[in-house]
Amino acid sequence: MAVSGRLVLLALLGALPIVLFPGALPAVIWAGLLAAGVAVDLLLAASPRRVGVRRDLPATVRLGEGCTGTLLLTNDTGRTLRATVRDPWQPSAGAANSEQRVRVAAGRVHRMEVSLLPARRGILTSDSVTLRSHGPLGLAARQVTLPAAAELRVLPPFLSKRHLPSKLRRLRELDGRAAVQIRGAGTEFDSLRDYVRGDDVRSIDWRASARRRDTVVRTWRPERDRRVVIVLDTSRTSAARIADEPRLDTGIEAALLLAVLAQHGGDKVDFLAFDRRLRARVDSGAKANLLNALVRAMAPLEPELIEADFSRIPAQIRSVSPHRSLVVLLTSLDSGAVEEGLLPVLPGLTAQHLVVIASVRDPRLEELRAVRGTAADAYRAAAAERALLDREAVTAQLKQLGAEVVDEHPLELPPRLADTYIRLKAAGRL
Amino acid sequence: MSRHAAPRRASTPPPSALPADLPAALTAAGPAPADTSAARAAAAQAITGDGGSVAATGRRRLRRALPGLLLAFVIAAVVVLGLLTRTDADTTPLSPGNGTPTGARAVAQVLEDEGVEVVHARTLADAEAARARLGGATLFFSDPNGWLNEEQLSSLNRSFPSRVLAAPSEPQLLVLAPEILPAGPAEDARGTVRAGCTREEARAAGEITGGGQLYSAPVECFNSPAADGGTGASYAAVGGTVVLGNPGILTNGTIEEAGNASLALSTLGAAESLIWYQPTTADLAGATGPPANPLQLLPDWVNTLMLWLLGCALLAMLWRGRRLGPLAVEPLPVLVSAAETAEGRARLYQGSRAVRHAAANLRAATLSRAAARLRLPPSSARAAVVQAVAQKTGRRPEDVHSLLDGPPPSTEKDLARWAQQLLDLEKEINNS
Repeated sequence: MAVSGRLVLLALLGALPIVLFPGALPAVIWAGLLAAGVAVDLLLAASPRRVGVRRDLPATVRLGEGCTGTLLLTNDTGRTLRATVRDPWQPSAGAANSEQRVRVAAGRVHRMEVSLLPARRGILTSDSVTLRSHGPLGLAARQVTLPAAAELRVLPPFLSKRHLPSKLRRLRELDGRAAVQIRGAGTEFDSLRDYVRGDDVRSIDWRASARRRDTVVRTWRPERDRRVVIVLDTSRTSAARIADEPRLDTGIEAALLLAVLAQHGGDKVDFLAFDRRLRARVDSGAKANLLNALVRAMAPLEPELIEADFSRIPAQIRSVSPHRSLVVLLTSLDSGAVEEGLLPVLPGLTAQHLVVIASVRDPRLEELRAVRGTAADAYRAAAAERALLDREAVTAQLKQLGAEVVDEHPLELPPRLADTYIRLKAAGRL
Repeated sequence: MSRHAAPRRASTPPPSALPADLPAALTAAGPAPADTSAARAAAAQAITGDGGSVAATGRRRLRRALPGLLLAFVIAAVVVLGLLTRTDADTTPLSPGNGTPTGARAVAQVLEDEGVEVVHARTLADAEAARARLGGATLFFSDPNGWLNEEQLSSLNRSFPSRVLAAPSEPQLLVLAPEILPAGPAEDARGTVRAGCTREEARAAGEITGGGQLYSAPVECFNSPAADGGTGASYAAVGGTVVLGNPGILTNGTIEEAGNASLALSTLGAAESLIWYQPTTADLAGATGPPANPLQLLPDWVNTLMLWLLGCALLAMLWRGRRLGPLAVEPLPVLVSAAETAEGRARLYQGSRAVRHAAANLRAATLSRAAARLRLPPSSARAAVVQAVAQKTGRRPEDVHSLLDGPPPSTEKDLARWAQQLLDLEKEINNS
């Protein structure tokens, strides 16, 4: 039950007879009238327990796009329902009108639309629906909270897809290109075509030229059906924010771009999110629906505040792909975490696979490095330099162990990782 | 407040539309048709009611409110008990009706047992009426607060020839016994003082408890040193006036010590009746009758109105305090800036004034970047880098050497300047 502002106002008006007619009697009469009004309201209000609530909600929405959550309110009572309805979405769901006044005639259904504009990736929830059914006098109301829980899966925005057309074009250019420097086991024979000036003379097919009486060159196409395994580190280091975005989200953007690109390059893409155990996994079986499967798997990922256990990663990768693959590790290059976790297992990985380690570099460190006006600034610059030097050292160590390292600023990481993939593919190293 | 305010973040602009040449499968990143219909089917179950009823809700509320109600009941019971058992006990010090250690009921009762009529007067009018009724009564006068003014004291002086004054102040003495002069407080409040005089009552008592005020008078007994160096008497008399410097000897707590009781009874029980007069605020000059109660000036309806407004306030609390459903819970993400470790390290450097350490870091970084820029292998010696830098920038090799390989700065001030020089050199390498 709840009382309304109107009741309080009427109660305040009761001060008037109390002043005009001294004595307890007017107060008692007025209080009795108010109590009667409240009782009438409570008795005549449509029972909120007999109102059916049905939710109609899109299962997923992409971050940055709005959607509408609909509540269908069925009034099964014999009275008109005048109610205030609240759909308590968590604040980051960005519900603009989560509280509405509705009026539903007896036996009718009302559509209450709550417009949502999520501000965070992940699974957003609304645990219940609260109905406050007002009486005809508007003095008191009956209130019930219904356990109608809903959840909305907010998918990563995939903002890096604007890089996709240019990268796809570069990937297509690999097709049908004359082998200039990339002769070797990694490329496959594609077709023969006429020689044009500038082609490598080594790719001239003399036998075919003899048959055609014209100079013919062999063309090659990049290998296909290779495996790409993307491993996203969701451990504590992924919680750190760089340029106001967690490492995890930057990693998701990079993984999405790479996955879509690799799929169009004809490769099989597997995705793992891992810290100490598997958090998400998408198999290469999801052929046509890969992107959809990926964003759905990535949506609920949150940084776990535990240390990553890299020693289990080789086994995880083996379970996904027993053959030689391109293993892309999206993790951080913080000294300490890498030296204890990744370095010991890396030789085993690089022996079997081609390993690319992608990490987000913090532009703030370079800002700190360049300001040296005061002693405090100089200390800060020194600390930033130390961090950068440590990073360099870790990168050098990783490269020495045979891994490719992509260390870029948040906005640059997805396209650079894609470039690395294209370069490796062009070089036939997959 | 009633609801959880949703913090609005600046909404990100919607991602730009996909380029036209993109395959159709890419656009499927949004809701897939199959998923949506499945979710809709699951959500199609209408939920009616919360499985409870009005009675169940009432019972639940009652159960939840029970501890609070019990507590309120206990508090109310304690308050009511306190009000019921409260007594109007007399707690005025030296009052003949006060049975506590500071009262003087013991003396008064013994005097009454001995046949002395003790009348407790609270106003001057009471005292004078009692005198008129009883005739030659002794007056016991104790007014430590000085409620009586000079005129009232003179009236007292005229009415009572025989009186016992309990630690009178100087203005009171001026009117009632000008021959007796105050001699300040006694030096030592402990122990006893001997009579040391020929006055009968004092000799009979022998010793009394020391302390209180001292006086000098024609007849002095129980002399003791005063706090300001002189001496004075605890018992002073002139004519029919007796001054007791330490009225504490009359109290229930100390009446049994030394000869206190003897002195008290012989002094106070000299006449057949005793008027025990302790002035109160009612004696204040100009006070005629009880003071006007300001509440009586208000109109009749004020009490009712106040109660009514209290009720209105309670209703308003109910109105604003009833939340529309439970609070929405937001699991907050971890907010750690990645550069925080570097900032922390910088503060550690600064806290321990690690100038050399900071300088070594800055120099190593500059050297490694310069080597990379000048196409030197990372393993090349410092001298080689210095040489190459000097060639590239056209600076004197000695200057470059002192900056890159010389002694590092030792003070914080030098560090800032030196760090800036390193940065300038680096810019020069990059630009030349």
